[in-house]
Amino acid sequence: MTTVHAAPAPPAVDPRDPEARLAAFFDPGSLRTLASRDTSGVLAGRGTVHGSPAIAYCTDATVMGGAMGLAGCRHIVDAIDAALRERVPVVGIWHSGGARLAEGVEALHAVGEVFAAMVRASGRIPQVSVVLGPAAGGAAYGPALTDLVVMGPLGRVFVTGPDVVRSVTGEDVDMESLGGPDTHGRRSGVVHVVTDSEQAALDTARQAVDLLAAQGTFSPAEHEPDVDLRALLPENPKRAYDVKPLVAAVLDGPMLELHARWAPNVVTVLGRLAGRTVGVVANNPLRLGGCLDSISAEKAARFVRMCDAFGIPLVVLVDVPGYLPGVGQEWDGVVRRGAKLLHAFAEAVVPRVTLVTRKSYGGAYIAMNARSLGATSVFAWPGAEVAVMGAKAAVGILHRKKLAAALPGEREALHAQLAAEHERIAGGVARAQEIGVVDEVVAPEQTRRRLVAALASAPPGRGAHGNIPL
Amino acid sequence: MAVQEIHAEMVSSVWKVFVAPGAEVAAGDTLVILESMKMEIPVLTEHAGTVGELHVVEGEVLQEGDLIATVTS
Repeated sequence: MTTVHAAPAPPAVDPRDPEARLAAFFDPGSLRTLASRDTSGVLAGRGTVHGSPAIAYCTDATVMGGAMGLAGCRHIVDAIDAALRERVPVVGIWHSGGARLAEGVEALHAVGEVFAAMVRASGRIPQVSVVLGPAAGGAAYGPALTDLVVMGPLGRVFVTGPDVVRSVTGEDVDMESLGGPDTHGRRSGVVHVVTDSEQAALDTARQAVDLLAAQGTFSPAEHEPDVDLRALLPENPKRAYDVKPLVAAVLDGPMLELHARWAPNVVTVLGRLAGRTVGVVANNPLRLGGCLDSISAEKAARFVRMCDAFGIPLVVLVDVPGYLPGVGQEWDGVVRRGAKLLHAFAEAVVPRVTLVTRKSYGGAYIAMNARSLGATSVFAWPGAEVAVMGAKAAVGILHRKKLAAALPGEREALHAQLAAEHERIAGGVARAQEIGVVDEVVAPEQTRRRLVAALASAPPGRGAHGNIPL
Repeated sequence: MAVQEIHAEMVSSVWKVFVAPGAEVAAGDTLVILESMKMEIPVLTEHAGTVGELHVVEGEVLQEGDLIATVTS
């Protein structure tokens, strides 16, 4: 997955140099260090990101592999506290072996104070982590406590390294499989964005900071062109499709997808809509048919809570056949984790608008920001279906005896007839509109305009809570 | 040479098979269409390459994790 190039001539500056990394993160020439360079293993500074102020700290891998002791941890806590005072985002750049062994329990205590500072700041200012090298032990939990984690190709995150794993469990594993980009981007969900270069990781963190901290205001164009978003979906209503082109068409320009490869049946994206930062949660029918399941519910719940904590309005694109059935799901705690998504939406005070594009069934209907959970507006496209389940499945249960009693040759026809009747009474979107759980059927080509209007006219809100890494 | 293994993500039946071993595929090409949850779900390649093994036939029921095909790039 990473391309290995021939080694270039040795650079003048150690590539792990924290000052160089901080300078590469901030706008050119804007870096001012908070304290002078020392042997603490941490350097912190302030600067600007796309013109807005931010603070960053970087572990110094040129000193004892970036291990963190009392003095280094003090620099991090000071940086976070300064950011909190000034209400600016704080970014951590990580390349560290964890707590300094030689300092013993003092170092552990200091690392714990870093964690506490991160939690103090949680949900109040955006915290973004960039993992560029190994980040072990305490250095692993640091990024994990923040809002967003970006990992470069050489980033590795683990609690205990391969040697300890081998001696305790006998498992033979290298650093990359244990805690590299593929592991954390696909399996564990620790990392939100994986990049193919160190600079791309820093640039992604810049984009994240810009979206989270410089949110802008809705400023719709006077003459928004009609775009037929329905054309991005297949004509056959049973056919699955990739929802990402639809998300991209709803948003203005470049978007930042979080957890792209982990729980891909739900897509979580930060982007801009009519100039303002919004968060998008969308079912992706291409993966698992778009079903919600245990981890995707948890992924979406954390994203919703993050957006709520920073006052970012939400757009929820729904095309969901239901929750994924199965023993594995139940044993995996789909009820416990699904409850997190219900909780996250119901508690959110940011404007949040739902659009049902094709269908929304059952428990997943509620979980995808239904009116009952307090959605600001619920829109549906023409032909969308909002129901407990598909008509055919519903009559199969409601009329089980009647169907069983029918002659085998006539059963299919009866089933189809009952389903059509059921659809007329309980299907489609008409009933949902009647009782007010869908506000309006909107034309696909006017979707963007309507979403903007609904979000912009709702009173802004910001949840008064931290962003626990669910 | 990397071998990409493509597995079934969920219990499903194989509705249509579009490729045979030896076929050249581009990234994003549809290998098979599965049917599950009353939906037709295309299974796509992540990287371009050549189909190595194909382990499914139309009508077959797959369990989560079953190997569908390998693509060598």
